[in-house]
Amino acid sequence: MFWHIIMKTLIRQRSKMLMIAFTVILGVSLSTAMMNVMLGVGDKVNRELKVYGANITVRHKDAALMSDLYGLNEGLGVNDKFLHEDDVLKLKSIFWGFNILDFAPILDGRVLMNSSFDVAIMGTWPMKHAVLSTGEELNTGLKSLRTWWDVSGEWLNENDDDYVMTGSILASENHIHVGDKITLKNGGHEKIFTVKGIFNDGGNADSKILMTLSSAQALMNLHGKVSSIEVSALTTPDNDLARKAAQDPRSLSPEEYETWYCTAYVSAICHQIQEVIRDGVAKPVRQVAESEGTILNKTTLLMVLITILSSIGSALAISNLITASVIERSQELGLLKALGAYNWQIALLVLAEVMITGLTGGIIGYFLGIGFAQVIGQTVFGSYIEIAKMVILIVSVILFFVTLIGSIPAIRYLMTLKPTEVLHGK
Amino acid sequence: MANKIRTGSRKRMYMKMVSGSLIRRASRLIIAVLAIAIGATILSGLVTIYYDIPEQLGREFRSYGANLIVLPHGDAKITREVMNNLRNLIGTVKIVGMAPYRYQTVKINEQPYIIAGTDLSQAEKNSPFWYIDGEWGHVMIGREIADTLNLTVGDTFTVQGVKYGEQAEASRKDLSAEENQKRNLAHQNFARKFTVKGIVTTGGAEEGFIFADIDMLDELIGDTFRADVIECSIVADADELSALCSRIENEIPELQPRAVRRLTQSQDIVLGKLKALVLIVTVVVLIITMISVYTTMTAMVAERRKEIALKKALGAENKLVMSELLGEGVLLGFIGGALGVFLGFEFAQRVSLNVFGRAINFQWSLIPVTIAVFIAITVLASIIPVRKVMDIHPAIVLKGE
Repeated sequence: MFWHIIMKTLIRQRSKMLMIAFTVILGVSLSTAMMNVMLGVGDKVNRELKVYGANITVRHKDAALMSDLYGLNEGLGVNDKFLHEDDVLKLKSIFWGFNILDFAPILDGRVLMNSSFDVAIMGTWPMKHAVLSTGEELNTGLKSLRTWWDVSGEWLNENDDDYVMTGSILASENHIHVGDKITLKNGGHEKIFTVKGIFNDGGNADSKILMTLSSAQALMNLHGKVSSIEVSALTTPDNDLARKAAQDPRSLSPEEYETWYCTAYVSAICHQIQEVIRDGVAKPVRQVAESEGTILNKTTLLMVLITILSSIGSALAISNLITASVIERSQELGLLKALGAYNWQIALLVLAEVMITGLTGGIIGYFLGIGFAQVIGQTVFGSYIEIAKMVILIVSVILFFVTLIGSIPAIRYLMTLKPTEVLHGK
Repeated sequence: MANKIRTGSRKRMYMKMVSGSLIRRASRLIIAVLAIAIGATILSGLVTIYYDIPEQLGREFRSYGANLIVLPHGDAKITREVMNNLRNLIGTVKIVGMAPYRYQTVKINEQPYIIAGTDLSQAEKNSPFWYIDGEWGHVMIGREIADTLNLTVGDTFTVQGVKYGEQAEASRKDLSAEENQKRNLAHQNFARKFTVKGIVTTGGAEEGFIFADIDMLDELIGDTFRADVIECSIVADADELSALCSRIENEIPELQPRAVRRLTQSQDIVLGKLKALVLIVTVVVLIITMISVYTTMTAMVAERRKEIALKKALGAENKLVMSELLGEGVLLGFIGGALGVFLGFEFAQRVSLNVFGRAINFQWSLIPVTIAVFIAITVLASIIPVRKVMDIHPAIVLKGE
C-alpha cells in the first residue's frame, strides 16, 4: 500500500516531482563539476606554471655558483668539475620520475668567434627523443624549458650539429642574421656553423650562442661532460615537514622520512636526483619553486571557496524547493490525515517520495556534472580533468541531508495540520 | 476630479493586494526571498571575485620577483634623482618593490667577492622567495659564501677594498707582510667588520653575493648614491610593461629598461588560464543558479492558479491580474536582490581576505545589475506559468484539475 501510494504520487504529481528532480539535477551537477575541478585544479595549474622553466638545477658538488656572477670568476678553476651526460636520462628512473616533466643538460663554455672576440656558448639538448630502458618513450629538451623565448628563424633540432642559435643582443651587436655562417674556435677545434635562429630571452642568455650538446662537447673537448642539468618537476608545495627535511633529511624520524620521501616535495625530488646523478647536487630554484607553491595554494584555496559557495547555494535551493512543494500538497496530505493516517506515516511517505526523486535527480546530475567538469577542463586547460570517486560520496551525503533538512519544515507543518481546515481550503 | 479619486483608490487597492498577498503567505514569502537572495549572493559574489581576480592574482605573481630591470647606458650609473624620476613615472600604486643595486668588488681573506648594496626593505618585497637563515637585514651573505668562509649567523667577517675613484696598489715584494697590511689600511682603502645577520638561499646566482645596505656601502667606499641597476617588481602584464618601457625610454633617456621576458610572458600565459578558469566557473555557476531560482519561483507561482482563477471569476481582467503578479515579482526580486548583493560582497570580501589577504573594492554597479537581473527572473518566473491559466475558464480551475 505504502509503495502504491508513492508510485501514484510520483506519477500524478510528476510535474512537481520533475521540478524537484530538475533542481536536484542542477544542484548536483554544479557541485560535482566544481568539486572535480577543485580537486583537479592543483595539478592543472601546476602544469601551467611549468612555463616558468626549471625549478631544480643539478650541478657538480664542487662547482660553485660563482661562475654565474656576470662571468667574473670564469677561468678561476671553478668550471672544471662536470657531471656525466650518460647520467642524465637516469632522472626518469627515480621514485618521482613520473613527476619530472622536462629536463635538459647544459654545457657552458667560452669560445672565440670569427677569430675576433670571446663569446659564451651553451651546449644542450634542444629537443630530445629517447627510449628509456623501461620502454617508455620520452620527448624533452631545452625548448620545453624556454617557453618564453621569442625565436625568429627556427629552433635547433635534435641532430642539428652544424647549426647554432644566437641570442638577440649578440646578433644585433654583430649584425648576425638567420642563415649567416659563423666560425667558432677553441684551442685546436674550429668549426663553421650556420645560424638557424635568433632568440630573445630577455635575460643573460641574449648574449650567448646555443648549440647542440655534442657540438659543444667537441668544441670544448669535453666528451660526455655537462656542467649542469635543468629539471622541471611537478611538486607539492612545501610544508613544515618539507622545510625540516630540506635542512637535513637525517633529522627526520623514520615515519617522517617515509612520508617525506614519498611526497613530491621539491626537497624530496632533489634528494632522489642526487641518488642517481654521480657527484651531483640538486638545488631547488627558489624563485620558481617557492612562487609556484604560493600561486598553487592561492588558486586551490580560491577554488575551494567558490566550490563551497556554489554547493551551499545549490543545497539551499534544493532544500527550499522541497519545502515549497511539500507545503503545496497540504490538501492531499490533509485528506490522508482525515482518512486516519498517522503523522509518522505521512512523514515517511513524504520523505520516501522526496528521496526517490532526489536520488534519480542526483544520479543524472552527477553525470551531467562530470560533463560540465570536462567542458571546463577542455576549455581552460585543453585536457581532461580526472574524475575523483570521492566526489560521489561527498555529493550523496550532502544531497541526503539537504533533502532531509528541506523536508523538515514541511513535515513539522504537516504535524500541526488540521484536516478539516486544510480540506476546507484555508 | 471624480476620476482622480477613482484612480487613487485603485492604486491603493493594488498596493493592498500586492502587499496583502505577500504578507498572507509569510512562510512562502520567506522561501521565495531566500531563493532569490541565494541566487543574488552567488551572482554578486562571483562577479566581484571575477573582476578582482586579475588584480589580486597579478600581485601574487609578483612573488616570482622583479619583472623589470632598469639599466643605465654604457658605463654610466644611476643617480638618486633619476631613480626618483623613475619611481614617479611608474607611479607608486603599481610598484610592489623597487630596489637599486650597486655592485662592488671587495676582498675577504684576500679572496675576491662581490658585495651588493641595495635598499634591503625593497629587495625583500622584490624577492619574497629568498630563504633567509637568520633575518633580513644588514648584512646578509649568500649560502655559497657562508659555506666557503664557514660563517654562520652572528659571526663576523672583515671586508676590504679600494675606495671609489682610487687605484689599488699591489702588495710589494720588498715590504714585509705587516707593512703591506698597513698600506692596505691607508686612505685609498677601506676595511670594515660586519656581523652576519642572515644567510641567503635562493638556488640561483644570489647565493654568491654579500648583501648590504646601499647607503652604508656608499659611505664605506666614500661615494654618493650610484646604482648599477634597478630591479622593479611592477603589477602589470606584458603589454602594459612594454608600454611602460617605451615611456621610460622616452622620458628618462639616461635609462635603459628591460622587461624580464621569462616572467612577463609566463605570467600572461598562466594568468590568462586562471582568468579563463574563473570566468567559465562563474558562467556555469551563474547559469545553474539562475535556472534553479527560476524553477523555485515557478513552483511557487504555479500553486496560485486557484487564487488567480477566483480573482478572474470575481471580474478581474487579465491585465489587472498580470500587473499584480508583476508588482509582486518586482518587490520580491528587489528585496532578494538587495539582500544578495550585500551578502555576496561579504562573501567575496571573505574570500579575498582569506586567499589574498587583501580587501576588495565594492563594485557599486553590481547593486542595480543584480537587482535588475533578479527582478527579471522573478517576473519571468511569475508570468510564464500563469499565462496558461489566463486562457482557461475560471470555473474549470476552481473546480480543481
